Amino acid sequence: MLKTKDLGYWYQTANEPLFKNVNLEFETGQSYAILGHSGTGKTTFLSLIAGLDQPKAGEITLDDRSLKQIGLTAYRRHHVAIVFQAYNLFTYMSPLNNLMTAMAITNASHAGDTDYARQILRNLGIGEDQMTRNVQRLSGGQQQRVAIARTMACDAQLVVADEPTGNLDEDNTRAVIAQFQKIAHDQHKCVIIVTHEPDVAAQCDHQFRLENKQFKALDPA
Amino acid sequence: MNFIKRAGLNVWAKKGRSLLLILVSAAILMFVLAGLLIRSAAVKATNQAKADVGATLTLSANRQAAFKKMNQSSSSTTKRSRPKLTLTPVKLSDATKIAKLSHVGSYNVTSSTSVNAKSYDTVSTSTGMGSSGGGPGGMKSAASSGDTQINGVSATSLTSDFSNQQSKIVKGRGITSTDRNTNHVVIEKELASQNDLSVGDTLTVKETSGSKDTVKLKVVGIYRASSSSSSSAGPMSTDPSNTMYTSYTLANTVKGSKYANTADSVTFNVTAPSQVSSVKKSGKALINTSKYTLSTDDASYQMVKSSMASVESFANKIVWLVAIAGTIILALIVILMIRERRFEIGVLLSLGEARWKIVAQFLTEMIMVLVVALVIAGAGGKLVGNQLGAQLTKQTAQTTQVTQTQSGGQNGGQPGGQSAGGHGGPGSRTQSTQQAKLAITVSAVDLAELGGFGLAIMFLSIMLASGGILRLQPKKVLIE
Repeated sequence: MLKTKDLGYWYQTANEPLFKNVNLEFETGQSYAILGHSGTGKTTFLSLIAGLDQPKAGEITLDDRSLKQIGLTAYRRHHVAIVFQAYNLFTYMSPLNNLMTAMAITNASHAGDTDYARQILRNLGIGEDQMTRNVQRLSGGQQQRVAIARTMACDAQLVVADEPTGNLDEDNTRAVIAQFQKIAHDQHKCVIIVTHEPDVAAQCDHQFRLENKQFKALDPA
Repeated sequence: MNFIKRAGLNVWAKKGRSLLLILVSAAILMFVLAGLLIRSAAVKATNQAKADVGATLTLSANRQAAFKKMNQSSSSTTKRSRPKLTLTPVKLSDATKIAKLSHVGSYNVTSSTSVNAKSYDTVSTSTGMGSSGGGPGGMKSAASSGDTQINGVSATSLTSDFSNQQSKIVKGRGITSTDRNTNHVVIEKELASQNDLSVGDTLTVKETSGSKDTVKLKVVGIYRASSSSSSSAGPMSTDPSNTMYTSYTLANTVKGSKYANTADSVTFNVTAPSQVSSVKKSGKALINTSKYTLSTDDASYQMVKSSMASVESFANKIVWLVAIAGTIILALIVILMIRERRFEIGVLLSLGEARWKIVAQFLTEMIMVLVVALVIAGAGGKLVGNQLGAQLTKQTAQTTQVTQTQSGGQNGGQPGGQSAGGHGGPGSRTQSTQQAKLAITVSAVDLAELGGFGLAIMFLSIMLASGGILRLQPKKVLIE
């Protein structure tokens, strides 16, 4: 589904590239974890596959079409959904409106279907009364679940998450990772999680470690 | 159209911020509206003044030509004799020809002179300069002046003093066309009370020139002149109470037989103000322009126009200054607001939202604010406009009056005496009392114009603030 071909990236101010000649393949129905210490470039890698930035070398293809061809805005709208460590929800909206807005912007097949959005939120443990209150009045775990629900409500086949459990306690971390697994296995989407927590990575189907500017596949636990 | 829904949700969710924006916008729009209202009221007042005062034509002696002739004769004469100004009285036959032109309605014949009181005492003015003949220019005209001013008219109701309500009939009636060839007179209230005269009484006057005959006059009406009445204007004039109104035929009789069927001036009312120029052109073709002049009486119009032009110019400055300042203030507020919402913009971009739709969302939010601000400004703008307009017209009126007083003083140096216009007959200017008032009303057009201004201000503010949105990279906001 998603492939990187000789992918490389460096900052103008740095002498050395963050990574180079990266060749990876990601498939639907699978979850992937990208591990690495801070500053190794794993978040930059995520920004490239999420269509938030362009590679300096090589290319990324989705179903054999390069992201350049698809166009980054169209790619973000129709093919990828992103979950951030800081949730990044619309703070002036309710969880329900957050989902409805995301569905409208991405022209999702269920756009405008309130019942569908409610069902997703319900499945993620967001109660009816919580659905219509302002998202800022929810706990961190609940907000992250709303962010995950937002990716589920959209039709994107690729879900990328940047340290999604970074602000969560152990219980919420477990629940969130379980949801990502469900998205991969039940909704048959490709889930890529960037994390520095080995425990979180261990729950994914595949793990890569970014070290010395190269990605190394780790043996499944 | 999801951006409209987002805009609505944002405005509703952030009530405090929205309220602040509404208040700031309303304050800006209120001043813009005040400027627009004053401007449109000034335009209306100018147009009204044109319609009101621009619709008269006055046929009178050509003073300019007469002065020229006098100067020529004085330079060509070898003997050092005093030059004589000869003004040809207007022939009524010429006036009748002009009156027959299309668009000419009623007309008023004016013939003024002065007489000396015989059977009564004139009202004396303590500050008066007496009733000696000759003006400040020291030139004596054909007739010497008496202590009583006789204004001969076709009808008192057609004179500017009476039509402007400066003079009012308090007893009896005014002079009408039926008084032609009679000795009927309308006298001033103070003169009447001082001499115990009433309607129906007779009084005797003595001519100031020729055979100096005695003329008996019958009082048919008493009028009250306002203190500011211009009919007695001029430093050489007698007290306003010593002015009497008669038919122009009586004034002509008093002046002498050569003045029969003549007038000092004839004022024609033009029924279609827009046709004044064409009527004037046609009228000029009927008269001897070297002796007579046919002029549009637009002094009042010019005064109102100049006064309103200054108000209009000030209003224009208010509109543009407030609009520019408002745009800057709103742009700064919006820039700060947008900086606060960088994460929201980043999330929208990460979802694949088009940048123009993000800008459109902010613009929609501002339009929502604008609608409420327009309602507030509409209510408050009239109030501000009324206060500002009243202050402006007051100041402008003071300035104009000062200017007029100064120019009036200069005019006093011109050759005076009893001219064809006498001491300021009924046709004299009364513009100092015609104060332009600004009728400030908020119409749908004003609100639409204000809405346009508001929209332009909001649009410019958003465009100025949106430069950042168009350049914003979601990665920088969301990840770095």
